[in-house]
Amino acid sequence: MSKKNKIYWFEGVTEKGVKSLLTDENSKYRWLRSQKNRRILVVLMTIGTALVAAGSYWPTLKTNLNLSDGTEVVIYSVAAIFAIFAVLLGYLFLRISVRGIADAPDELLDERQIKIRDTSFRYAYYGFGYIVLALLLLMNLGPEVKLFQPEGNDGSYLIISMMFLCAALPSMILAWRERDI
Amino acid sequence: MLFSMSRNPEEPVYNRIEEARLALGLSRQELADKAGVHYQTIGYLEREEYSPSLVLALRIAKTLNQEVSELFSLTPFKKGK
Repeated sequence: MSKKNKIYWFEGVTEKGVKSLLTDENSKYRWLRSQKNRRILVVLMTIGTALVAAGSYWPTLKTNLNLSDGTEVVIYSVAAIFAIFAVLLGYLFLRISVRGIADAPDELLDERQIKIRDTSFRYAYYGFGYIVLALLLLMNLGPEVKLFQPEGNDGSYLIISMMFLCAALPSMILAWRERDI
Repeated sequence: MLFSMSRNPEEPVYNRIEEARLALGLSRQELADKAGVHYQTIGYLEREEYSPSLVLALRIAKTLNQEVSELFSLTPFKKGK
């Protein structure tokens, strides 16, 4: 008898999805769950997110590499799409590596998992707060950085990367801190 | 250490969960299912890397047919006892 799959709208997950991640049903992803591989994933995610955030500066490739307008647009578009999808894929792997604990509701976790999830969110709050503060200071104190401009560089890549970071930071911290079983 | 984050230096709670579990012939997964926790949590408990709440300690003790005081202690258990 199939039980109804409860949807947790606030967390953006389903009961079956969380339970599937919490168990070892997907044994093909077991390699992701060692601490070493989780930390490698966190480093790759950090690099990827930084690359996406710097996307607004990529048009300078044209002047640096002496490319024609058409070539530059193609390289720029393909690279941007590739970087965004790579980070998205990294985020999916990251969630699998920490069994989706960071996004799971209380009722599907045990007391230790709730504790480590909450601790990760506490550090993520600090981390995200410091990053936002640094960006605000850069906008205010360093206009030559040109984070937001009316033409060309509209800051959209920075916003996309901040959205990635907002979603992934608790999982990244969890992946970094959790020991092996 | 780079990126080190503070961990709560809890007072360790020593236990004999593994000994009692093996005596009953239970796997970690079976004990976890009966106690209503993830099997990883049983692993953390057995390695004394996590101190359980009173409710969980009572549930585990009941599952293993033991008194909480027989299973958990603030001082190390003597070998063979």
